[in-house]
Amino acid sequence: MKWKKARIYIFSVALFTASCAKVLDLEPTDRITADVIFGDPQGVKLYMADLYSQLPIEDFAYFRQGFNWNGSPGTGDVNNGGFAPAMSTDEAVHSEFGDFVGNDDFQWWDKGYKLIRDVNLLIDVIPTLNIKDDERAALTGESAFIKAYAYFALAKRYGGVPLIKESQKYDGTAESLKVPRSTEKQTWDYVMELCDAAIANLAPGKGRRASKWTAYALKSRAALHAASLAKFGPRAPMSGDAVSQNLIGLNTSDAAGYYSACIAACEAIINSGEFRLFRPSPANANEAAENYRLLFQDPNGATDEAIFIKGFTIPGNGTGQNYDIWYQPAQVANGWPHPGRMNPTLDLVDLYESYDNPGQSAPIVTTTDGNVNDYNGYSTAKTYLRFDTPNDIFKNKDARLWGTAILPQTNWKGIPIIIQAGYVKPDGQAVIRVKDEITINGTTYYTYGAPSTTMYSGFDTYGGNNTRTGFSFKKFMNQNAPVVPGWNQGTTDFIEFRYAEILLNYAEAVVESGTGNAAAAAAGLNDIRKRAGHTSTVALTSDNVQRERRVELAFENKRFWDLIRRREFHTQFNNRFMHSILPLQDLRALPDKKYIFVRVNVPNTNPKTFETRAYYRYIPGIGSNGLVQNPQY
Amino acid sequence: MNKIISILFIGLLAFTSCKKDNYDAPNAGLSGRFVDAETGELVQQDIIRGTQIEIFEHGYGTGQLQYLIVKNDGTYENSLLFANTYTIKPVRGNFIAVEPQDINIQGKTTLDFTVTPYIRLKDVSINKNGNKVVASFKLEQKVINNIKKIGLYAHSDSRVGEPMRLVAAEQELNAVSDPNHTYTLEIDLDANSSVLKAGTSYYFRAGALIDIGDAKLNYAPAVKL
Repeated sequence: MKWKKARIYIFSVALFTASCAKVLDLEPTDRITADVIFGDPQGVKLYMADLYSQLPIEDFAYFRQGFNWNGSPGTGDVNNGGFAPAMSTDEAVHSEFGDFVGNDDFQWWDKGYKLIRDVNLLIDVIPTLNIKDDERAALTGESAFIKAYAYFALAKRYGGVPLIKESQKYDGTAESLKVPRSTEKQTWDYVMELCDAAIANLAPGKGRRASKWTAYALKSRAALHAASLAKFGPRAPMSGDAVSQNLIGLNTSDAAGYYSACIAACEAIINSGEFRLFRPSPANANEAAENYRLLFQDPNGATDEAIFIKGFTIPGNGTGQNYDIWYQPAQVANGWPHPGRMNPTLDLVDLYESYDNPGQSAPIVTTTDGNVNDYNGYSTAKTYLRFDTPNDIFKNKDARLWGTAILPQTNWKGIPIIIQAGYVKPDGQAVIRVKDEITINGTTYYTYGAPSTTMYSGFDTYGGNNTRTGFSFKKFMNQNAPVVPGWNQGTTDFIEFRYAEILLNYAEAVVESGTGNAAAAAAGLNDIRKRAGHTSTVALTSDNVQRERRVELAFENKRFWDLIRRREFHTQFNNRFMHSILPLQDLRALPDKKYIFVRVNVPNTNPKTFETRAYYRYIPGIGSNGLVQNPQY
Repeated sequence: MNKIISILFIGLLAFTSCKKDNYDAPNAGLSGRFVDAETGELVQQDIIRGTQIEIFEHGYGTGQLQYLIVKNDGTYENSLLFANTYTIKPVRGNFIAVEPQDINIQGKTTLDFTVTPYIRLKDVSINKNGNKVVASFKLEQKVINNIKKIGLYAHSDSRVGEPMRLVAAEQELNAVSDPNHTYTLEIDLDANSSVLKAGTSYYFRAGALIDIGDAKLNYAPAVKL
């Protein structure tokens, strides 16, 4: 019976299609066609929103698996362990994973060319749209900006790439769609050209869409990247087909042009008078630390400094983010099972200056001999400095340390965050990273500083929820509300470009090129220091600029590319252990409450090495796209 | 009945569409040594991030390159290659570059490379002196470039080297070496007591790196102390 019915259906469908000659020309009703979307200014707006969402912005949803890793369509499981890009650098380690830069990390090939295809389609129709001339210029500028962004993201990953300057038409042969790689020089020059087109067409203004200033900011960053590659390329010589065909690598003589492009772009922003540092003159270091924290907790309160903000306005898949659940300390997890993943390293903490000795990094001294290179662990033979609290040892360090990391036993959300690695018993025997307790004169002391796992945030391997470096994470964290224990519920916005980065780009371009206005560059550098509570100035030197950059922009996903573009990754990471500080209560001092500190390699980790080939990602799919592969892949 | 027919039909389809895999497993192999052209000794290498042998199998267009690694003692072997003609070229090595060659690999093929190492370490001694391990050696370089650095490396594994070490004592030279000078490096065992445990034997190996592109270090054989 069923079969009969089906046959009738098939027959009638066949009849119907036979009678209707143009059935294949029917417009599908579940798709919007190009004419409809581009014919209506509202449609163009929607299309633009999609393009902006595809921008390769390395924000809170950027992980080694890719961009928009927050439940957006086309991405994988949002539960990636919370392994942030900072953990592929010397800024942080993960509380559990020992991973480093892997071959498949930070790839952006297919999605990059998808965005370029999408923006090229828009560029095709801009001349035909029924809109006013200023709107047309704005769209032209925005599409150049988006394309520049895309090619910048490709160039810094792959070197020279195929430049698809216009949308491609399929004429029946796949071969005609294949475009060989351009040289790295041509690729960077194309990024510059697109930035210039964006700058020329975009109006000044502020907001969350591209403006003349965001285009200048992008150019500043991209030009500095290219200039650094040209200048520092010889630090990591490479060989292979891609090198001999100039598909990767720039000449040192190219550096000057890119540095001067960077300088000009920075000066355009600085001289516009539109931007200034957020709360530039704090009364003291405590205020400076709080100002710095506020800048990131809500960038919308700092629109003088924030040049371009990416919003995470609405909780939910594809719109919210997960920094709060992954990285707030264990004690404030609020029922979320996987907090505390971001562990800032002692190596980063060492870098921050002390107000006592400005102009140089101030490694944390734990012993009377002052040796900061001894990572052999606790020894009764050494004399440790004693402190009254687990954070006194960091006193007088740059305010930005206090605004970036949660230091042992400092307050967060109104409670002291307990980070303690153990104690030294009255007999001098140390108990470190073992759950233990001892009762002396009626008082019980705990190795981790408190009796139960909900009451401390350090060193216990329980759940992988506790820091193993001695530091938890503060920058970007929302202090105002309890953690919402679910995926993609965070709504803190991300600052993609901010004025401080422009000042630092400017200082670096001037000092590295030896050209430009050194006085203005030094002034910008010292403005940033002043905002951090420093009262003295430093000279414009390469070391000062790099240290300032690392502490000011820490965890903003700049460090990875700084190590890449300055070709420092393979020398900085050659069998390198990251380091921790172990706060121990010294029970020998009882009845006084005293703490000592031990510098060690991060527990349960292996040394990390950066392979020089990883300065470029491998190009996926060379079997079908026929491109020349990057060396050693 | 219909059901059975359709199952048979699908089964038939499945069988006709899937021929038995009739290709042989790789049954050829390539092995050999890197031999110093002057001394006839094996040229010491690194097993990770060391010299590699780039091989390109003919007949597959612009395919993927394959890389063979070289063992620390300067020998190499890949016993699972498909019999075919290959273009073979050692790359990123610690010796003066050699030309690529086309080799027909059938069965167990042997291919030795006679090379001139960038640097030879001569009169090498590595000894334990109290709580220090001291290495001393002379350098003989075969190219005019600077020597970038020299190093003494320690590891619990015999494949110790610059990329694979627990502790390193390195010195930047950035100069042409003096053939008559004796270079010394030392590792303080006490200062590294967390990684070099007292009472355990470790391997020590001295090396030198020429300042040429992506060249690799030259070594003397490792010593167990």
